[in-house]
Amino acid sequence: MSAPPLPSAAPAPPRAPTPPSSRPTDVLRPRRRPLRTRLWPYLLLVPALVPLGVGLGYPLARQFVLSFQEYGLAQQFGRPAEWVGLDNYVSLLSDSYVWGVIARSIAFCLVNAALTMAIGIALAVLMSKVGRAARITLQVGMLLAWGTPVLATMTVWQWLFDSQYGVVNWLLAGPLGMEGQRGHSWLIEPLSFYGVATVIVVWMSVPFVVFTVYAGLLQVPEECMEAAQLDGATSWQRLWRLALPMIRPVLFVVALLQVIWDLRVFTQIHVLQRAGAPTRETHLLGTYIYSLSKEFSMAGAMATIMLAITLALTATYIRRMLREEDA
Amino acid sequence: MKRVRTTGLAALAVGMLTLAACGGGESAEADGGSGGSDTGELRLWLNGTDTPQELRDHLVETFEADNPGSTLVIEEQDWSGLVPRLQTALSSEDQTPDLVEIGNTQSPTFTYAGAFSDLTDMVDELGGDDLLQGFVEAGTVDDTVYAVPYYSGARAVFYDKRAFAAAGVEVPTTLAEFTEVATTLQQADPGGKPNWSGFWFPGQDWYNGVAWINAHGGEIAVSDGEEWTGALSSPESQEGLAEVADLFSTATSAPRDADSEEPWVPFNNGEVAMFSAPTWARWSIDLPECNKGVAADDESAAATALLAEQQACNEAATGVFALPGMEAGSPAPVFAGGSNLAIPAKSGNQELARDLLRIIFSDEYQGMLATNGLIPGNSQFADQLGDDVYAQAARDAAVDAKLTPAAEKWADVEGARILEDFFQQIASGADPAEAAAEADELLAETLN
Repeated sequence: MSAPPLPSAAPAPPRAPTPPSSRPTDVLRPRRRPLRTRLWPYLLLVPALVPLGVGLGYPLARQFVLSFQEYGLAQQFGRPAEWVGLDNYVSLLSDSYVWGVIARSIAFCLVNAALTMAIGIALAVLMSKVGRAARITLQVGMLLAWGTPVLATMTVWQWLFDSQYGVVNWLLAGPLGMEGQRGHSWLIEPLSFYGVATVIVVWMSVPFVVFTVYAGLLQVPEECMEAAQLDGATSWQRLWRLALPMIRPVLFVVALLQVIWDLRVFTQIHVLQRAGAPTRETHLLGTYIYSLSKEFSMAGAMATIMLAITLALTATYIRRMLREEDA
Repeated sequence: MKRVRTTGLAALAVGMLTLAACGGGESAEADGGSGGSDTGELRLWLNGTDTPQELRDHLVETFEADNPGSTLVIEEQDWSGLVPRLQTALSSEDQTPDLVEIGNTQSPTFTYAGAFSDLTDMVDELGGDDLLQGFVEAGTVDDTVYAVPYYSGARAVFYDKRAFAAAGVEVPTTLAEFTEVATTLQQADPGGKPNWSGFWFPGQDWYNGVAWINAHGGEIAVSDGEEWTGALSSPESQEGLAEVADLFSTATSAPRDADSEEPWVPFNNGEVAMFSAPTWARWSIDLPECNKGVAADDESAAATALLAEQQACNEAATGVFALPGMEAGSPAPVFAGGSNLAIPAKSGNQELARDLLRIIFSDEYQGMLATNGLIPGNSQFADQLGDDVYAQAARDAAVDAKLTPAAEKWADVEGARILEDFFQQIASGADPAEAAAEADELLAETLN
């Protein structure tokens, strides 16, 4: 009984360690190479795509499906969910209160984004003009405002505006002699509530604008500015006609982000509401969706509406941005 | 060489299969075991620190002695954010605790959703008619009991004895007298503080304010069996709300944007003559003249003695009484706080959880709840609360204490903060009839 020579034993010994299963590779190798090269970039995308799909795609799809169902607590405990078509959307969009919330949110978002951009650009310009010590002080201050956790800063702001023991009222009533401000409630009138919220939101988002715009301004070529100066342009003209147009792509991106962030503002509003504001009169989109959260289907429908509003608000921005990128 | 490799692969494959089979077997066992009284690890969720450590230890020891081989794990949950946490935990077989404590006003949300197991056959065994009936009602759907009362805590009024003496007033005996006393105290302002309050009554404090509605025979909302309607506009509720509006305008400087949280802070600052809170607020009173400056982490004998002295000093300066009702000698129907116990329907340890319920409703444990200042779920044991003024006030207040409407969607009303907004409007001087009409509409919209 001679050992039948196995086909795999025939080739050169170095290949012996290759597992038997990989044998066909020998035959396919010339064709497989390009396939592997072609697959490789897609494989590299997988680690990024999987978390995106799981973390973003799934909830979004689920939210979309939920918004066409009747889905509450009972359904979560096993009762079958009924399909209701567009009912959720109809009942939301036929409620004048919901339109009020949408209008308030858009107004709040635009005012806040505009204020943030204006103050941010102004501070960025200031930062590029002042000396080193002043600049570092500014930068550190900005970083602290940007880096402190939201809830911690909210607690401090809440204390500042506390009607009984707050520093703001104490300052106004004590040293400044405005006796009527003692015990004044800042949060009880919607308008003054949004005023306080605006101060907080703008304060928190300005640093990001400042740093980004400042970085942009550093990229403006010195010789252009100098040439303009020689041509007799005032510093205002140089900023308005030269520097800002040159960093327009940066401004676009930052403004776009601000609009998105300020439209979906939640934490600041929620904490201030809990601090004693009339809840129903101060809802914005984020907190209103949260208040619907026991009926998942309604909340899903409202969140989908909010997504549509965000896209509508930012569509022109995104289109222009893409065009400029192509150019 | 090759054969070895193949065998290894085969072994690995077999191993994987076995593992998978084990996994399947385990879950099958868990499913099958849901009705049986096997041994296992039981998880009990208790909220906040209301249940003292001594009681927890007792539960663990007794349970483990009664059920050899089983263990009881008590997991403490925070009251805030409890509802969303239960929403997720109770709907998952893997994550659900086996017995949960839930706020009485939150119970209906879950009982109607089918989150809890039927306990009707156990009610008699646990105490029957002696159980706090309002709480049983909050845990009942269509004659099926899903949640049973754990404990209750009623609200009583704390007052500064020196302020009473300075203003020359006595403890009021009727609700009308209470308003008079509060107004007199407000005007007296013995300390000359600019933000002095005769009665601390912040604008969003409906937990205390609802007592006036109840006392006049009003309701927050009523049901005809199918539909809920808001009842704040009813003549009875309006009578109560008129007194509430009166108190807001003449007897308090409390901010309109504060709620019932921590009323002892201004009291300790000497800015308040009276405030209303659950009776355990006695432990939070800390008058500056009594404070001995003991460090919080100092556990020496001397520190303990000083703390006892401090507590005695605080309690000597502070009085307490149950909010009086319409007639002299009868307490007002104040808001009843407290919680229920229920077994999640998805728990795999139904029998063990029932055993634990029996231990909780045993004479011994109910007595322990009472001696720790909580009104136990079985009202027979309320006598063991003790005889001091706090126990008396707690008992008096509990006699007529009233819960919020037992509506399926009551938690939505609290979530939307409808009553906070409503009381704030009254505090801001809105017309009670108009504000009530608006709130009634919102209540009906939310509850149906």
